[in-house]
Amino acid sequence: MSSIKMFEKPLGMRDTFPQIFNKTEKIREVTKHFLQIRGYDFIKTPSVEYYDTIGRASAIQDASLFKLFDNQGNTLVLRPDMTTPIIRVASSKLLKEKTPLRLAYFANVFRAQEFEGGRPAEFEQMGIELIGDTTVFADAEVIATAIELLQAIGLQEFKITIGHAGILQCVLTDYTESAEEAAQLRELLVKRNYVGFEEAVESFDLPKAKSDALMQFINEATNLTRLEEIEKYVRKNEALQYMRELANLLDVAELADYIDFDFTLSSHMNYYTGMLFEVFASGSGFALGNGGRYDGLLHEFGVATGATGFGIRVDRLLEILPLPTIEKQNVLVLFDAEAFGAALQQTKQLRAQGYHTTLQNKSEVCEDMHALYERVIVVTKDGEIQ
Amino acid sequence: MSELTIAMPKGRIFEEAYQMLIEAGFNLPAEVEMSRKLMIEIPEEHIRFILAKPMDVPVYVEHGVADIGIAGKDVLLEQQREVHELLDLKISSCYIASAGLPQTTMDEVAPRIATKYPHIAMKYYKGIGEQVEIIELNGSIELAPMIGLADRIVDIVSTGRTLKENGLVEYEHIADISSRLIANPVSYRMKASRILDLAARLKQTVKEND
Repeated sequence: MSSIKMFEKPLGMRDTFPQIFNKTEKIREVTKHFLQIRGYDFIKTPSVEYYDTIGRASAIQDASLFKLFDNQGNTLVLRPDMTTPIIRVASSKLLKEKTPLRLAYFANVFRAQEFEGGRPAEFEQMGIELIGDTTVFADAEVIATAIELLQAIGLQEFKITIGHAGILQCVLTDYTESAEEAAQLRELLVKRNYVGFEEAVESFDLPKAKSDALMQFINEATNLTRLEEIEKYVRKNEALQYMRELANLLDVAELADYIDFDFTLSSHMNYYTGMLFEVFASGSGFALGNGGRYDGLLHEFGVATGATGFGIRVDRLLEILPLPTIEKQNVLVLFDAEAFGAALQQTKQLRAQGYHTTLQNKSEVCEDMHALYERVIVVTKDGEIQ
Repeated sequence: MSELTIAMPKGRIFEEAYQMLIEAGFNLPAEVEMSRKLMIEIPEEHIRFILAKPMDVPVYVEHGVADIGIAGKDVLLEQQREVHELLDLKISSCYIASAGLPQTTMDEVAPRIATKYPHIAMKYYKGIGEQVEIIELNGSIELAPMIGLADRIVDIVSTGRTLKENGLVEYEHIADISSRLIANPVSYRMKASRILDLAARLKQTVKEND
Protein backbone atom coordinates (compact mmCIF):
# COMPACT_ATOMS: atom_id res chain seq x y z
CA MET A 1 0.00 0.00 0.00
CA SER A 2 1.24 3.45 -0.80
CA SER A 3 1.72 5.78 2.13
CA ILE A 4 -0.84 8.49 2.81
CA LYS A 5 0.25 12.01 1.93
CA MET A 6 -0.03 14.80 4.46
CA PHE A 7 -2.70 16.64 2.55
CA GLU A 8 -4.76 13.61 1.57
CA LYS A 9 -8.32 13.03 2.74
CA PRO A 10 -10.26 9.76 2.85
CA LEU A 11 -11.96 8.82 -0.39
CA GLY A 12 -14.92 11.05 -1.21
CA MET A 13 -14.35 13.53 1.66
CA ARG A 14 -14.27 17.22 0.79
CA ASP A 15 -13.20 20.48 2.36
CA THR A 16 -15.70 23.31 2.23
CA PHE A 17 -14.01 26.59 1.35
CA PRO A 18 -15.34 29.97 2.57
CA GLN A 19 -17.21 30.85 -0.61
CA ILE A 20 -19.11 27.56 -0.68
CA PHE A 21 -19.63 27.71 3.06
CA ASN A 22 -21.33 31.09 2.64
CA LYS A 23 -23.43 29.80 -0.21
CA THR A 24 -24.56 26.80 1.86
CA GLU A 25 -25.35 29.06 4.81
CA LYS A 26 -27.50 31.23 2.58
CA ILE A 27 -29.50 28.19 1.42
CA ARG A 28 -29.77 27.03 5.01
CA GLU A 29 -31.12 30.42 6.15
CA VAL A 30 -33.74 30.58 3.42
CA THR A 31 -34.76 26.97 4.03
CA LYS A 32 -34.96 27.38 7.77
CA HIS A 33 -37.19 30.41 7.57
CA PHE A 34 -39.29 28.91 4.78
CA LEU A 35 -39.99 25.69 6.65
CA GLN A 36 -40.41 27.20 10.11
CA ILE A 37 -43.21 29.51 9.03
CA ARG A 38 -44.94 26.43 7.61
CA GLY A 39 -44.91 24.73 10.99
CA TYR A 40 -41.91 22.44 10.54
CA ASP A 41 -39.56 21.97 13.49
CA PHE A 42 -35.90 21.30 12.84
CA ILE A 43 -34.23 18.44 14.61
CA LYS A 44 -30.76 16.91 14.81
CA THR A 45 -29.86 13.26 15.30
CA PRO A 46 -26.49 11.61 15.98
CA SER A 47 -24.05 11.00 13.13
CA VAL A 48 -23.49 7.45 14.31
CA GLU A 49 -26.32 4.93 14.71
CA TYR A 50 -26.69 1.18 15.16
CA TYR A 51 -26.46 -0.86 11.98
CA ASP A 52 -29.24 -3.17 13.18
CA THR A 53 -31.79 -0.37 13.50
CA ILE A 54 -30.85 2.42 11.10
CA GLY A 55 -28.47 0.72 8.68
CA ARG A 56 -30.74 -2.18 7.87
CA ALA A 57 -33.92 -0.14 7.59
CA SER A 58 -32.35 2.63 5.51
CA ALA A 59 -33.11 3.01 1.82
CA ILE A 60 -29.39 3.12 1.07
CA GLN A 61 -27.69 0.01 -0.23
CA ASP A 62 -25.61 -1.95 2.22
CA ALA A 63 -22.43 -1.55 0.18
CA SER A 64 -22.63 2.25 0.52
CA LEU A 65 -22.71 2.25 4.32
CA PHE A 66 -19.72 3.31 6.39
CA LYS A 67 -19.56 0.67 9.10
CA LEU A 68 -17.61 0.70 12.33
CA PHE A 69 -17.64 -1.12 15.67
CA ASP A 70 -18.13 0.23 19.16
CA ASN A 71 -16.16 -1.14 22.12
CA GLN A 72 -18.85 -3.74 22.84
CA GLY A 73 -18.62 -5.17 19.36
CA ASN A 74 -21.89 -3.70 18.00
CA THR A 75 -21.85 -2.67 14.37
CA LEU A 76 -22.42 1.05 13.87
CA VAL A 77 -23.07 3.09 10.75
CA LEU A 78 -22.48 6.71 9.86
CA ARG A 79 -26.03 7.80 9.04
CA PRO A 80 -26.63 7.28 5.33
CA ASP A 81 -29.89 9.26 5.28
CA MET A 82 -32.04 11.28 7.68
CA THR A 83 -35.43 9.69 7.15
CA THR A 84 -34.70 6.53 9.11
CA PRO A 85 -33.20 8.30 12.18
CA ILE A 86 -36.14 10.72 12.22
CA ILE A 87 -38.60 7.84 12.13
CA ARG A 88 -36.68 6.25 14.99
CA VAL A 89 -37.04 9.41 17.13
CA ALA A 90 -40.63 9.91 16.10
CA SER A 91 -41.76 6.38 16.80
CA SER A 92 -39.97 6.14 20.15
CA LYS A 93 -40.81 9.57 21.54
CA LEU A 94 -42.14 12.48 19.50
CA LEU A 95 -45.28 10.86 18.11
CA LYS A 96 -46.50 10.30 21.66
CA GLU A 97 -46.38 14.05 22.24
CA LYS A 98 -47.88 15.34 19.01
CA THR A 99 -49.60 13.91 15.94
CA PRO A 100 -49.21 14.66 13.13
CA LEU A 101 -45.57 15.66 13.37
CA ARG A 102 -43.88 18.06 10.99
CA LEU A 103 -40.10 17.70 11.19
CA ALA A 104 -37.32 19.19 9.09
CA TYR A 105 -33.59 18.67 8.88
CA PHE A 106 -30.45 20.09 7.31
CA ALA A 107 -27.73 17.54 7.93
CA ASN A 108 -24.72 15.80 6.47
CA VAL A 109 -25.11 12.15 5.48
CA PHE A 110 -22.49 9.57 4.52
CA ARG A 111 -22.44 7.18 1.60
CA ALA A 112 -19.29 5.34 0.62
CA GLN A 113 -18.32 5.59 -3.03
CA GLU A 114 -17.33 2.54 -5.00
CA PHE A 115 -16.35 4.18 -8.27
CA GLU A 116 -14.47 7.28 -9.35
CA GLY A 117 -12.74 8.74 -6.34
CA GLY A 118 -13.90 12.34 -6.45
CA ARG A 119 -17.60 11.88 -5.85
CA PRO A 120 -18.70 13.09 -2.44
CA ALA A 121 -19.10 10.42 0.24
CA GLU A 122 -20.32 13.00 2.75
CA PHE A 123 -22.80 15.62 1.69
CA GLU A 124 -25.54 17.79 3.06
CA GLN A 125 -29.15 16.97 2.65
CA MET A 126 -32.24 18.89 3.62
CA GLY A 127 -35.81 17.80 3.78
CA ILE A 128 -39.01 17.32 5.67
CA GLU A 129 -40.98 14.43 7.10
CA LEU A 130 -44.70 14.65 7.78
CA ILE A 131 -45.51 11.80 10.12
CA GLY A 132 -48.89 10.60 11.35
CA ASP A 133 -51.13 11.84 8.55
CA THR A 134 -52.20 9.10 6.15
CA THR A 135 -54.43 11.26 3.95
CA VAL A 136 -53.74 12.59 0.48
CA PHE A 137 -53.52 16.11 1.90
CA ALA A 138 -50.21 15.24 3.54
CA ASP A 139 -48.75 14.07 0.22
CA ALA A 140 -50.01 17.20 -1.52
CA GLU A 141 -48.47 19.33 1.22
CA VAL A 142 -45.10 17.61 0.85
CA ILE A 143 -45.00 18.05 -2.93
CA ALA A 144 -46.19 21.65 -2.71
CA THR A 145 -43.58 22.37 -0.04
CA ALA A 146 -40.84 20.90 -2.23
CA ILE A 147 -41.87 23.06 -5.19
CA GLU A 148 -42.23 26.26 -3.21
CA LEU A 149 -38.99 25.67 -1.34
CA LEU A 150 -37.07 25.34 -4.60
CA GLN A 151 -38.71 28.53 -5.83
CA ALA A 152 -37.77 30.31 -2.60
CA ILE A 153 -34.15 29.21 -3.01
CA GLY A 154 -34.14 30.73 -6.47
CA LEU A 155 -34.44 27.74 -8.77
CA GLN A 156 -36.35 28.37 -11.96
CA GLU A 157 -36.23 25.33 -14.17
CA PHE A 158 -37.22 22.20 -12.33
CA LYS A 159 -39.68 19.35 -12.54
CA ILE A 160 -41.27 16.94 -10.12
CA THR A 161 -42.08 13.52 -11.53
CA ILE A 162 -44.70 11.59 -9.59
CA GLY A 163 -45.49 7.90 -9.67
CA HIS A 164 -47.35 5.44 -7.49
CA ALA A 165 -46.01 2.08 -6.34
CA GLY A 166 -49.54 0.68 -6.06
CA ILE A 167 -50.52 1.54 -9.62
CA LEU A 168 -47.31 0.09 -11.03
CA GLN A 169 -47.80 -3.07 -9.00
CA CYS A 170 -51.36 -3.33 -10.28
CA VAL A 171 -50.26 -2.99 -13.92
CA LEU A 172 -47.41 -5.48 -13.53
CA THR A 173 -49.58 -8.06 -11.77
CA ASP A 174 -52.50 -7.72 -14.16
CA TYR A 175 -50.49 -8.11 -17.33
CA THR A 176 -48.08 -10.87 -16.30
CA GLU A 177 -48.70 -14.51 -15.46
CA SER A 178 -46.63 -14.87 -12.31
CA ALA A 179 -45.21 -12.92 -9.40
CA GLU A 180 -41.67 -13.69 -10.61
CA GLU A 181 -42.32 -12.05 -13.96
CA ALA A 182 -43.76 -8.98 -12.26
CA ALA A 183 -40.75 -8.80 -9.94
CA GLN A 184 -38.33 -9.10 -12.84
CA LEU A 185 -40.03 -6.26 -14.71
CA ARG A 186 -40.04 -4.11 -11.61
CA GLU A 187 -36.32 -4.72 -11.16
CA LEU A 188 -35.68 -3.52 -14.73
CA LEU A 189 -37.72 -0.38 -14.12
CA VAL A 190 -35.71 0.43 -10.99
CA LYS A 191 -32.65 0.40 -13.27
CA ARG A 192 -34.55 2.40 -15.90
CA ASN A 193 -33.74 -0.20 -18.49
CA TYR A 194 -36.65 0.16 -20.90
CA VAL A 195 -34.93 -1.93 -23.57
CA GLY A 196 -34.51 -4.74 -21.05
CA PHE A 197 -38.18 -4.38 -20.09
CA GLU A 198 -39.32 -4.90 -23.69
CA GLU A 199 -36.95 -7.84 -24.14
CA ALA A 200 -38.22 -9.44 -20.93
CA VAL A 201 -41.86 -8.99 -21.98
CA GLU A 202 -41.09 -10.70 -25.29
CA SER A 203 -39.28 -13.55 -23.56
CA PHE A 204 -42.23 -14.26 -21.21
CA ASP A 205 -44.40 -15.48 -24.07
CA LEU A 206 -47.49 -13.78 -22.68
CA PRO A 207 -50.88 -13.72 -24.38
CA LYS A 208 -50.78 -11.04 -27.07
CA ALA A 209 -53.27 -8.74 -25.35
CA LYS A 210 -51.11 -8.66 -22.22
CA SER A 211 -47.76 -8.17 -23.91
CA ASP A 212 -49.19 -5.46 -26.17
CA ALA A 213 -50.57 -3.67 -23.14
CA LEU A 214 -47.19 -3.79 -21.38
CA MET A 215 -45.36 -2.55 -24.47
CA GLN A 216 -47.76 0.33 -24.81
CA PHE A 217 -47.54 1.05 -21.10
CA ILE A 218 -43.75 1.33 -21.19
CA ASN A 219 -43.96 3.64 -24.18
CA GLU A 220 -46.55 5.97 -22.79
CA ALA A 221 -46.52 5.86 -19.01
CA THR A 222 -43.05 7.35 -18.51
CA ASN A 223 -44.12 10.85 -19.34
CA LEU A 224 -47.68 11.89 -18.75
CA THR A 225 -48.79 15.44 -18.18
CA ARG A 226 -52.36 14.43 -17.49
CA LEU A 227 -53.46 11.70 -15.16
CA GLU A 228 -56.34 10.56 -17.37
CA GLU A 229 -53.84 9.06 -19.80
CA ILE A 230 -53.01 6.23 -17.40
CA GLU A 231 -56.59 5.19 -16.76
CA LYS A 232 -56.87 2.86 -19.71
CA TYR A 233 -54.16 0.61 -18.24
CA VAL A 234 -55.45 0.30 -14.73
CA ARG A 235 -58.66 -1.15 -13.43
CA LYS A 236 -60.47 1.13 -11.04
CA ASN A 237 -58.75 0.91 -7.68
CA GLU A 238 -57.90 2.88 -4.59
CA ALA A 239 -54.45 3.89 -5.79
CA LEU A 240 -55.84 5.45 -8.95
CA GLN A 241 -58.50 7.26 -6.97
CA TYR A 242 -55.78 8.50 -4.63
CA MET A 243 -53.70 9.87 -7.49
CA ARG A 244 -56.76 11.59 -8.92
CA GLU A 245 -57.29 13.38 -5.65
CA LEU A 246 -53.61 14.26 -5.40
CA ALA A 247 -53.57 15.69 -8.93
CA ASN A 248 -56.67 17.64 -8.12
CA LEU A 249 -55.16 19.12 -4.94
CA LEU A 250 -52.01 20.16 -6.79
CA ASP A 251 -54.23 21.78 -9.40
CA VAL A 252 -56.02 23.74 -6.69
CA ALA A 253 -52.61 24.82 -5.38
CA GLU A 254 -51.76 26.00 -8.95
CA LEU A 255 -48.63 23.88 -9.12
CA ALA A 256 -49.58 21.65 -12.05
CA ASP A 257 -46.94 23.28 -14.29
CA TYR A 258 -44.11 21.77 -12.28
CA ILE A 259 -45.48 18.27 -12.32
CA ASP A 260 -45.62 15.30 -14.59
CA PHE A 261 -46.45 11.69 -13.96
CA ASP A 262 -44.39 8.60 -14.59
CA PHE A 263 -46.09 5.39 -13.56
CA THR A 264 -43.00 3.33 -14.30
CA LEU A 265 -41.21 5.11 -11.44
CA SER A 266 -40.02 2.48 -9.03
CA SER A 267 -37.70 2.39 -6.05
CA HIS A 268 -35.50 -0.48 -4.90
CA MET A 269 -36.97 -0.09 -1.42
CA ASN A 270 -40.21 -1.93 -0.76
CA TYR A 271 -41.37 0.40 1.95
CA TYR A 272 -42.37 3.02 -0.58
CA THR A 273 -45.94 1.81 -0.65
CA GLY A 274 -47.77 4.75 -2.14
CA MET A 275 -46.94 7.76 -4.24
CA LEU A 276 -43.29 8.55 -4.80
CA PHE A 277 -41.54 11.32 -6.68
CA GLU A 278 -38.22 12.55 -7.99
CA VAL A 279 -36.97 16.10 -8.34
CA PHE A 280 -34.97 17.22 -11.37
CA ALA A 281 -33.50 20.60 -12.24
CA SER A 282 -31.60 21.98 -15.21
CA GLY A 283 -27.98 22.63 -14.37
CA SER A 284 -27.11 19.33 -12.77
CA GLY A 285 -26.84 15.99 -14.52
CA PHE A 286 -28.07 14.16 -11.46
CA ALA A 287 -31.46 14.08 -9.74
CA LEU A 288 -31.79 16.79 -7.11
CA GLY A 289 -33.79 14.76 -4.66
CA ASN A 290 -36.69 12.45 -4.11
CA GLY A 291 -39.52 11.70 -1.79
CA GLY A 292 -42.71 9.83 -1.27
CA ARG A 293 -44.96 8.03 1.15
CA TYR A 294 -43.22 5.38 3.22
CA ASP A 295 -45.81 3.94 5.59
CA GLY A 296 -43.90 0.65 5.39
CA LEU A 297 -40.91 2.11 7.25
CA LEU A 298 -43.11 3.14 10.17
CA HIS A 299 -44.55 -0.33 10.32
CA GLU A 300 -41.00 -1.65 10.64
CA PHE A 301 -40.61 0.55 13.72
CA GLY A 302 -43.87 -0.80 15.11
CA VAL A 303 -46.05 2.26 14.50
CA ALA A 304 -49.33 1.82 12.67
CA THR A 305 -49.54 5.17 10.97
CA GLY A 306 -48.15 6.76 7.83
CA ALA A 307 -45.47 9.21 6.85
CA THR A 308 -44.42 11.13 3.79
CA GLY A 309 -41.54 13.48 3.02
CA PHE A 310 -38.72 14.48 0.74
CA GLY A 311 -34.97 15.03 0.76
CA ILE A 312 -32.94 17.43 -1.41
CA ARG A 313 -29.20 17.11 -1.97
CA VAL A 314 -27.58 20.39 -1.03
CA ASP A 315 -24.36 19.63 -2.94
CA ARG A 316 -26.33 19.43 -6.18
CA LEU A 317 -28.21 22.63 -5.36
CA LEU A 318 -24.85 24.34 -4.92
CA GLU A 319 -23.86 23.15 -8.37
CA ILE A 320 -26.97 24.73 -9.92
CA LEU A 321 -27.23 28.02 -8.03
CA PRO A 322 -25.00 30.98 -8.90
CA LEU A 323 -22.71 32.34 -6.22
CA PRO A 324 -24.57 34.89 -4.09
CA THR A 325 -23.54 38.49 -4.56
CA ILE A 326 -22.03 39.74 -1.38
CA GLU A 327 -23.19 43.19 -0.36
CA LYS A 328 -21.20 43.55 2.83
CA GLN A 329 -18.33 46.00 2.86
CA ASN A 330 -14.99 44.66 3.99
CA VAL A 331 -12.56 46.96 5.75
CA LEU A 332 -8.96 46.20 6.62
CA VAL A 333 -7.37 48.07 9.50
CA LEU A 334 -3.57 47.85 9.52
CA PHE A 335 -1.64 49.02 12.53
CA ASP A 336 1.91 49.65 13.63
CA ALA A 337 2.75 47.78 16.78
CA GLU A 338 2.86 51.06 18.79
CA ALA A 339 -0.59 52.15 17.60
CA PHE A 340 -2.49 49.02 18.61
CA GLY A 341 -4.72 50.86 21.09
CA ALA A 342 -5.83 53.50 18.59
CA ALA A 343 -6.41 50.86 15.90
CA LEU A 344 -8.53 48.76 18.26
CA GLN A 345 -10.66 51.79 19.03
CA GLN A 346 -11.12 52.49 15.32
CA THR A 347 -12.01 48.84 14.62
CA LYS A 348 -14.62 48.73 17.35
CA GLN A 349 -16.35 51.78 15.89
CA LEU A 350 -16.38 50.31 12.38
CA ARG A 351 -17.73 46.98 13.59
CA ALA A 352 -20.46 48.76 15.52
CA GLN A 353 -21.47 50.47 12.26
CA GLY A 354 -21.84 47.08 10.69
CA TYR A 355 -18.65 46.89 8.60
CA HIS A 356 -16.85 43.58 8.40
CA THR A 357 -13.58 44.73 9.84
CA THR A 358 -10.32 42.84 9.95
CA LEU A 359 -7.62 44.01 12.35
CA GLN A 360 -4.12 43.12 11.23
CA ASN A 361 -0.56 43.89 12.27
CA LYS A 362 0.98 45.82 9.36
CA SER A 363 4.38 44.13 9.44
CA GLU A 364 2.92 40.72 8.51
CA VAL A 365 0.92 41.88 5.49
CA CYS A 366 1.78 41.02 1.92
CA GLU A 367 0.81 43.51 -0.78
CA ASP A 368 -2.02 41.53 -2.46
CA MET A 369 -4.07 41.47 0.73
CA HIS A 370 -5.20 45.06 0.04
CA ALA A 371 -6.96 44.06 -3.15
CA LEU A 372 -9.42 41.86 -1.25
CA TYR A 373 -10.88 44.77 0.74
CA GLU A 374 -13.05 47.69 -0.30
CA ARG A 375 -11.36 50.01 2.16
CA VAL A 376 -7.97 49.93 3.84
CA ILE A 377 -7.16 52.06 6.86
CA VAL A 378 -3.63 52.30 8.15
CA VAL A 379 -3.05 53.43 11.73
CA THR A 380 0.56 54.50 12.20
CA LYS A 381 2.31 55.42 15.43
CA ASP A 382 2.03 59.15 14.57
CA GLY A 383 -1.60 59.29 13.56
CA GLU A 384 -4.02 57.95 11.01
CA ILE A 385 -3.74 57.66 7.24
CA GLN A 386 -6.40 56.24 4.99
CA MET B 1 -36.69 24.70 -29.01
CA SER B 2 -34.14 23.55 -26.46
CA GLU B 3 -30.68 22.51 -27.62
CA LEU B 4 -30.01 18.79 -27.63
CA THR B 5 -26.49 17.45 -27.15
CA ILE B 6 -25.91 13.93 -28.41
CA ALA B 7 -22.80 11.96 -27.51
CA MET B 8 -21.75 9.61 -30.31
CA PRO B 9 -19.00 7.05 -30.55
CA LYS B 10 -16.48 7.89 -33.26
CA GLY B 11 -16.22 5.70 -36.33
CA ARG B 12 -18.60 3.24 -37.93
CA ILE B 13 -21.35 3.44 -35.29
CA PHE B 14 -21.49 7.19 -35.76
CA GLU B 15 -22.06 6.80 -39.48
CA GLU B 16 -24.77 4.17 -39.04
CA ALA B 17 -26.57 6.08 -36.30
CA TYR B 18 -26.26 9.32 -38.26
CA GLN B 19 -27.87 7.61 -41.24
CA MET B 20 -30.68 6.40 -39.00
CA LEU B 21 -31.34 9.93 -37.81
CA ILE B 22 -31.60 11.08 -41.44
CA GLU B 23 -34.02 8.23 -42.15
CA ALA B 24 -36.01 9.27 -39.08
CA GLY B 25 -36.56 12.61 -40.80
CA PHE B 26 -33.98 14.81 -39.13
CA ASN B 27 -32.70 17.57 -41.34
CA LEU B 28 -29.00 16.72 -41.25
CA PRO B 29 -26.43 17.40 -43.98
CA ALA B 30 -25.95 14.22 -46.03
CA GLU B 31 -22.17 14.46 -45.87
CA VAL B 32 -20.56 15.44 -42.64
CA GLU B 33 -16.96 16.46 -42.58
CA MET B 34 -15.51 14.30 -39.83
CA SER B 35 -11.74 14.85 -40.00
CA ARG B 36 -10.53 15.67 -36.52
CA LYS B 37 -13.51 17.58 -35.25
CA LEU B 38 -14.87 16.60 -31.86
CA MET B 39 -18.04 18.66 -32.06
CA ILE B 40 -20.53 19.07 -34.87
CA GLU B 41 -23.25 21.72 -34.69
CA ILE B 42 -26.51 21.29 -36.62
CA PRO B 43 -28.24 24.64 -36.08
CA GLU B 44 -31.26 23.72 -38.25
CA GLU B 45 -32.25 20.97 -35.83
CA HIS B 46 -30.81 22.54 -32.66
CA ILE B 47 -28.63 19.49 -32.29
CA ARG B 48 -24.98 19.24 -31.33
CA PHE B 49 -23.03 16.03 -31.69
CA ILE B 50 -20.03 15.36 -29.54
CA LEU B 51 -17.71 12.62 -30.70
CA ALA B 52 -16.22 10.49 -27.96
CA LYS B 53 -14.50 7.17 -27.44
CA PRO B 54 -17.19 4.47 -27.29
CA MET B 55 -16.27 3.65 -23.68
CA ASP B 56 -16.73 7.31 -22.70
CA VAL B 57 -20.20 7.95 -24.12
CA PRO B 58 -22.05 6.83 -20.94
CA VAL B 59 -19.76 9.07 -18.86
CA TYR B 60 -20.80 12.19 -20.80
CA VAL B 61 -24.45 11.18 -20.56
CA GLU B 62 -24.38 10.28 -16.88
CA HIS B 63 -22.94 13.68 -16.02
CA GLY B 64 -25.50 15.43 -18.16
CA VAL B 65 -23.07 17.26 -20.45
CA ALA B 66 -24.69 15.21 -23.20
CA ASP B 67 -28.47 14.80 -22.96
CA ILE B 68 -28.57 11.55 -24.86
CA GLY B 69 -26.03 9.24 -26.43
CA ILE B 70 -25.45 6.11 -28.38
CA ALA B 71 -23.55 3.44 -26.52
CA GLY B 72 -22.83 -0.23 -26.93
CA LYS B 73 -24.58 -2.58 -24.53
CA ASP B 74 -21.12 -3.98 -23.68
CA VAL B 75 -20.08 -0.60 -22.30
CA LEU B 76 -23.35 -0.23 -20.38
CA LEU B 77 -22.97 -3.68 -18.84
CA GLU B 78 -19.37 -3.01 -17.92
CA GLN B 79 -19.83 0.41 -16.35
CA GLN B 80 -23.25 0.25 -14.68
CA ARG B 81 -23.87 3.98 -14.95
CA GLU B 82 -26.97 5.87 -13.96
CA VAL B 83 -28.52 6.42 -17.39
CA HIS B 84 -31.86 5.48 -18.89
CA GLU B 85 -31.71 2.86 -21.60
CA LEU B 86 -34.37 3.95 -24.07
CA LEU B 87 -34.03 2.05 -27.30
CA ASP B 88 -32.21 -0.82 -28.96
CA LEU B 89 -30.99 0.58 -32.28
CA LYS B 90 -30.14 -2.92 -33.52
CA ILE B 91 -26.92 -1.70 -35.15
CA SER B 92 -23.43 -3.14 -34.69
CA SER B 93 -24.92 -6.33 -33.31
CA CYS B 94 -22.49 -8.80 -31.82
CA TYR B 95 -22.11 -10.73 -28.58
CA ILE B 96 -19.78 -11.29 -25.70
CA ALA B 97 -18.41 -14.80 -25.37
CA SER B 98 -15.62 -16.69 -23.71
CA ALA B 99 -13.02 -18.31 -25.91
CA GLY B 100 -9.82 -20.27 -25.60
CA LEU B 101 -7.55 -22.78 -27.29
CA PRO B 102 -9.49 -25.76 -28.69
CA GLN B 103 -10.10 -28.78 -26.46
CA THR B 104 -8.73 -27.25 -23.32
CA THR B 105 -10.23 -27.33 -19.85
CA MET B 106 -9.85 -24.49 -17.44
CA ASP B 107 -7.20 -24.68 -14.75
CA GLU B 108 -8.72 -26.26 -11.65
CA VAL B 109 -7.47 -23.93 -8.95
CA ALA B 110 -8.10 -20.47 -10.32
CA PRO B 111 -8.28 -20.23 -14.09
CA ARG B 112 -7.08 -16.93 -15.51
CA ILE B 113 -9.45 -14.92 -17.66
CA ALA B 114 -8.07 -12.13 -19.84
CA THR B 115 -10.54 -9.46 -20.87
CA LYS B 116 -11.28 -5.84 -21.70
CA TYR B 117 -14.46 -6.25 -19.62
CA PRO B 118 -13.38 -7.16 -16.08
CA HIS B 119 -16.77 -6.37 -14.55
CA ILE B 120 -18.80 -8.40 -17.05
CA ALA B 121 -16.38 -11.32 -16.81
CA MET B 122 -16.35 -11.29 -13.00
CA LYS B 123 -20.13 -11.16 -12.84
CA TYR B 124 -20.50 -14.00 -15.32
CA TYR B 125 -18.10 -16.37 -13.58
CA LYS B 126 -19.50 -15.46 -10.15
CA GLY B 127 -22.94 -16.24 -11.50
CA ILE B 128 -21.96 -19.76 -12.54
CA GLY B 129 -20.00 -20.34 -9.33
CA GLU B 130 -16.57 -20.51 -10.96
CA GLN B 131 -13.59 -19.08 -9.07
CA VAL B 132 -11.39 -17.20 -11.50
CA GLU B 133 -8.67 -14.61 -11.66
CA ILE B 134 -9.44 -11.70 -13.97
CA ILE B 135 -6.63 -10.10 -15.95
CA GLU B 136 -7.53 -6.78 -17.52
CA LEU B 137 -6.03 -6.09 -20.94
CA ASN B 138 -6.63 -3.18 -23.29
CA GLY B 139 -6.45 -4.89 -26.65
CA SER B 140 -5.17 -7.88 -28.62
CA ILE B 141 -6.93 -10.07 -26.07
CA GLU B 142 -6.53 -13.13 -28.35
CA LEU B 143 -2.85 -13.12 -27.56
CA ALA B 144 -3.41 -14.13 -23.93
CA PRO B 145 -4.33 -17.84 -24.38
CA MET B 146 -1.85 -18.23 -27.23
CA ILE B 147 1.14 -17.40 -25.10
CA GLY B 148 -0.22 -18.89 -21.89
CA LEU B 149 -1.21 -15.77 -19.97
CA ALA B 150 -4.82 -16.92 -19.57
CA ASP B 151 -6.99 -20.03 -19.94
CA ARG B 152 -9.88 -18.13 -21.44
CA ILE B 153 -10.65 -14.72 -22.79
CA VAL B 154 -13.93 -12.84 -22.53
CA ASP B 155 -14.43 -10.56 -25.50
CA ILE B 156 -16.72 -9.24 -28.20
CA VAL B 157 -17.38 -11.60 -31.11
CA SER B 158 -19.01 -10.30 -34.26
CA THR B 159 -18.03 -12.63 -37.10
CA GLY B 160 -15.71 -14.96 -35.26
CA ARG B 161 -12.97 -14.36 -37.81
CA THR B 162 -10.45 -12.90 -35.39
CA LEU B 163 -10.84 -15.90 -33.10
CA LYS B 164 -10.40 -18.33 -35.97
CA GLU B 165 -7.34 -16.59 -37.38
CA ASN B 166 -5.70 -16.88 -33.99
CA GLY B 167 -6.63 -20.52 -33.53
CA LEU B 168 -9.16 -19.94 -30.77
CA VAL B 169 -12.63 -21.43 -30.36
CA GLU B 170 -15.69 -20.03 -28.67
CA TYR B 171 -16.84 -21.67 -25.44
CA GLU B 172 -19.69 -19.83 -23.74
CA HIS B 173 -22.12 -17.20 -25.01
CA ILE B 174 -22.39 -14.51 -22.33
CA ALA B 175 -24.55 -11.63 -23.59
CA ASP B 176 -25.99 -10.17 -26.78
CA ILE B 177 -24.73 -6.72 -27.66
CA SER B 178 -26.01 -3.92 -29.86
CA SER B 179 -26.02 -0.13 -29.79
CA ARG B 180 -28.49 1.54 -27.45
CA LEU B 181 -29.96 4.99 -27.19
CA ILE B 182 -29.35 6.22 -23.64
CA ALA B 183 -30.50 9.35 -21.83
CA ASN B 184 -29.46 11.38 -18.83
CA PRO B 185 -32.16 11.15 -16.11
CA VAL B 186 -32.42 14.91 -15.69
CA SER B 187 -32.47 15.69 -19.43
CA TYR B 188 -35.05 12.95 -19.84
CA ARG B 189 -37.37 15.08 -17.70
CA MET B 190 -36.32 18.61 -18.53
CA LYS B 191 -36.15 18.02 -22.30
CA ALA B 192 -38.82 15.34 -22.31
CA SER B 193 -40.64 16.35 -25.47
CA ARG B 194 -37.49 16.49 -27.62
CA ILE B 195 -36.03 13.25 -26.32
CA LEU B 196 -39.28 11.31 -26.52
CA ASP B 197 -39.88 12.60 -30.06
CA LEU B 198 -36.40 11.54 -31.14
CA ALA B 199 -36.75 8.14 -29.48
CA ALA B 200 -40.15 7.52 -31.07
CA ARG B 201 -38.91 8.46 -34.55
CA LEU B 202 -35.82 6.29 -34.19
CA LYS B 203 -37.96 3.43 -32.95
CA GLN B 204 -40.04 3.69 -36.10
CA THR B 205 -36.87 3.62 -38.21
CA VAL B 206 -35.57 0.57 -36.35
CA LYS B 207 -38.87 -1.19 -37.03
CA GLU B 208 -38.78 -0.33 -40.73
CA ASN B 209 -35.19 -1.53 -41.12
CA ASP B 210 -35.92 -4.77 -39.32
